[in-house]
Amino acid sequence: MTELLQVLVTMLFFPAGLFLLANAMFYQWIDRKLVARLQDRVGPPWYQPLADTVKLLANEEVLPFGVNKWLFIGLPIIGLAGALTTALYLPIAGLPPAYGFPGDLIVTVYMLSMLTLCLGLAGANTRDRFSMVGATRTLTQLFSYEAPFLLALLGPALAAGSWQLSDIMAYASGNWLLLTQPIGFVVVIIGLMGKLEITPFDAPEAETEIVAGALTEYSGRGLALFRLGQWVELVIGLTMIAAFYLGGIHNPLDYVIKTLFPLLIIAGLQTLMTRLRIDQTVGMWWRYGALLALVQWLLIFLMGGGQ
Amino acid sequence: MKLGTLFKDALHALFSRAATEPYPNPQPNETERLRGRLMWAPEGCTGCNLCVKDCPANAIDLFVLDKKAKQFVMRYDVGRCTFCGQCMQSCRFECWHAANDDWSLAGTTVDGFTYYYGEEDDVERVLAEPVEEHPVKV
Amino acid sequence: MTPSTDRKRFTVPIGPQHPALKEPGHFAFDVDGEIVQSASVRLGYAHRGIEKATESRTWVQNLYLLERICGICSHIHATAYCLGVEKLAEVEVPPRAQAIRSLVAELERIHSHLLWLGVAAHEAGFDTLFMYSWRDRETVMDILEALTGNRVHYSANVLGGVKYDVDDKQAATIREGLDFLEERTLHYLEVVTTDGLFLQRTRGIGVMNRDEAEQSGVIGPTGRASGVHRDVRIDSPYTAYAEHPILPVYESTGDLLARFIVRLREQLASFEYIRMLLDHLPNSPLTTRMPRRVKEGEAISRVEAPRGELFYFIKSNGGDMPERIHVRTPTLCNIASVAQLVIGQHLADVPMILVGIDPCFSCNDRTSVISQDGQRDLWTWDRLRQYGINHYGTHYSKDIHR
Repeated sequence: MTELLQVLVTMLFFPAGLFLLANAMFYQWIDRKLVARLQDRVGPPWYQPLADTVKLLANEEVLPFGVNKWLFIGLPIIGLAGALTTALYLPIAGLPPAYGFPGDLIVTVYMLSMLTLCLGLAGANTRDRFSMVGATRTLTQLFSYEAPFLLALLGPALAAGSWQLSDIMAYASGNWLLLTQPIGFVVVIIGLMGKLEITPFDAPEAETEIVAGALTEYSGRGLALFRLGQWVELVIGLTMIAAFYLGGIHNPLDYVIKTLFPLLIIAGLQTLMTRLRIDQTVGMWWRYGALLALVQWLLIFLMGGGQ
Repeated sequence: MKLGTLFKDALHALFSRAATEPYPNPQPNETERLRGRLMWAPEGCTGCNLCVKDCPANAIDLFVLDKKAKQFVMRYDVGRCTFCGQCMQSCRFECWHAANDDWSLAGTTVDGFTYYYGEEDDVERVLAEPVEEHPVKV
Repeated sequence: MTPSTDRKRFTVPIGPQHPALKEPGHFAFDVDGEIVQSASVRLGYAHRGIEKATESRTWVQNLYLLERICGICSHIHATAYCLGVEKLAEVEVPPRAQAIRSLVAELERIHSHLLWLGVAAHEAGFDTLFMYSWRDRETVMDILEALTGNRVHYSANVLGGVKYDVDDKQAATIREGLDFLEERTLHYLEVVTTDGLFLQRTRGIGVMNRDEAEQSGVIGPTGRASGVHRDVRIDSPYTAYAEHPILPVYESTGDLLARFIVRLREQLASFEYIRMLLDHLPNSPLTTRMPRRVKEGEAISRVEAPRGELFYFIKSNGGDMPERIHVRTPTLCNIASVAQLVIGQHLADVPMILVGIDPCFSCNDRTSVISQDGQRDLWTWDRLRQYGINHYGTHYSKDIHR
C-alpha cells in the first residue's frame, strides 16, 4: 500500500508531476524574462506561462478537417508524458533520482526525443501546408542534432564508465567535467537549443515563413500540452547539464544555481543569433557538431578517461 | 566572420532600465507642439466658416446664432478629428488652438466625444434646439 | 490554390493573412522540398478607393486624405501632392518652406529605413536587432513629434508652404538626436556586414543584377542596390534638392546584403543632409497665398519616397476640387520583381526577399478597368458587391468543401 502511494506521489507530484510542471513554467518565465531584458524590453510577469497555459486549456480545441482524430488528440499527451517520465531518473531539485537502472541514460535521451517525434507526427497528421513543411523540418532537425547531442552526453558516461545516470552523477559530483570536457559541454548546450527549437534553431517553427510550423493547426489543449512538454524538456536538459558538467547537484540551492547558469548561456545565445535555414542547421551539426563531439571522445580516450 | 556582434548592446541592456515606456503611469511628457484636443475661442470669430470648409474629417460645425452680435457656437467631434491642424492654419483670427496636455482622448462609450464651444447662453440655445445631424459633404 | 494532395505542385500560400506580412497580399509559392519553383503575386486586398474619394473633396481636404495613403511615408505623399497643385496654381513656395519640406522628408526617410531594418531582421529571425533598431527609431519619432506635433501623419505641409518652423532650440534637439542615430546606424552597418550568422541569410540571396533590375523596372533603394542609378532627388530635383544636392548611394552586388547596406548608407547621407540644411536654412516666410480654385490643367509631380519614386498625376478643371488624381507608389514597380527573385531560392529566404523591396501593399492597391471598345464602364456598389461574392464563392468553395 505504501509502495503504491509512493509510486503515485512520484508520478503525480514529485518529481514527475505537478512540481515539474511548476518548475518548467518558472524556468520558461526566466528564459523569456532574460531574453526580454537582453533585448531592452520589460518582459512578461512571473505568472505569464501559467496564464498562457490556463488560457489555452480553456480554449476550444478545433479538430481540423482531414486529420486522424486519435492521433491528433493522443500525440500531445504522449509527447508530454515522455518528457515527464525522464524526470524519474534525474536529480530534480537536488534530491536523488526516484528510479534508476543500468542504461537509463539512453532511455532518458530517447524519451526526450519522443516529444520531437510526436511534434513531427502531429504536423504530418494534418493537411495544412505549413504544418507539413514544419513537420519535415522538425524531423530533419531531429536527425541532425540528435547524434552529436547523444555523442556528447556519452562523454561523461565514458569517463564514469557506466551508462546509469546515478553512477555518472556520482562520478561527476567529484569532478567538474566542464573543465575536463569543455567541448562536450558546448555541444550539449547547443544540442539542447536545437531540441527546444529556440533561435537559431527555430526553423521548424519560423513564424515568418510557416506560421507555427507543425503546431499551426493546434489550438487549445493540444497546443498547451505541446508547449508544456517543451518547457519540461528545458528543465530536464538543464538538470542533465548541471548534473553532468557542473560538479553534480547536492541540494536544492545547488540545483537552482547550477541550472540557472546554463539557462543564462542559452538566453544569451538566443539573443545574439539569427535563425538558421534548415539546410544550414543540418550542415552545421554534421560538419561541426558531430566532429566536435568525436574530438571530445578522442580527448577522453587519450587522457585515459575511458575505463 | 564575427559572431555575437550585438553582445555589448545586450550586456548594456541587461544592466540598465528597459527602454519600454511604462504607460499609463507615469504619463509621458508632452512636447510643446503636440496636437491634442482642439480648443476654440469665440472672441475672434467672424463666422467666415473657412475652418469648417477645410476640415478634412468634417469634425467641426459652426452654428451662427447672430452674425452681427457675434454669437457663434462651435460643435467639435473629437471622434472624427484627425488632428491635422488645418483649422488652426485656416483661421486668420487664431480662434483655434490645440491643447498639448489633453491628448488621452479614447473612451469606452460613444458619448462624450462631442464638445460645444461658445458663450454659455449660446451653447444652451443650440442644445435646446433639435439636433440636426451635419450633412456629409458629397 | 491547389489541393495539397497534388504531388506535382506543393503550393505554400503566403497571405492574405500571414505573420510574415504586416498587410494583406497573396503570394503562392510552388515548392519542391524547400526550393521555390514558381511564384505568383495577387494584390488588391486593401483597396481603399482613395483616388476616387479625392474627386469629392476640396484641394485642402485632399492634402490630408492623400497623406494617409501611407502611414510610414506620409509626408512625402503630401509633398508630392503639394508640389503638383502648386505647379498647377502657379504658386511660388518660399525657400524656407521648401527646405523644411526636405528636412522632414529626410527625417521620415530615416524613420522608414530604421523601421525596415527592424522588419527585415525580424523576418530573418534576428529579433534582437529588430528590438534595438525600433528602440532607436524612437529618437527620430521624438524629433518629428517635437518638430510637427505628431509622431506619424505630421501634417507639416500645407498648400503653399509648411506649417511649422524650425527654431534654434529645435535645431539643437535635431542635431543631438542625429549624433546618436549616426552612431547607432554605423553600428548596425557593422552588424549587418560582419555578423557571420546574419550574413549567411543575406549574402548572395535574391540576387538581381543591373540588367534584370532595369528590365523589371525596379526603383528606389531596391534598384540602387542593384546598381540602377536612379534617384528622383538627383535626376529631377524638387524642394531644396536643387539648391543643395544630396549624396546618392549605390551598390552593385544586388543581393539582400546590398539592400541592407544601401538603406543604412542612405540614412548616413540623410544625417549629413539634415545637418547641412540646418546650417543653411534660408530666411523667408513659411507660407504664401494659395487660391481656393486651381487653374485648369494637368500636372505631374515626382518625388523620392523612402521606398522609391512616387508619382502623382493631378488634373484640375478649374474648380475647388480636383477632377482626377492618380497615385503610383513605389511598391507597384518593385513587387513584380519578387516573383522572379524567389525562383530557385529556399522557402526560408522568401520572406526576407519579399521584405527586401520594402513592400507597402495598402498604398499600392489600385483598380483599373480597361474596356477595349472605349465605352465608359460604371461599377455601382451593388455590382462590386456581387463581383466580390462571385469571385470568392467560386474561388474558395472548392478548397473548403474538398
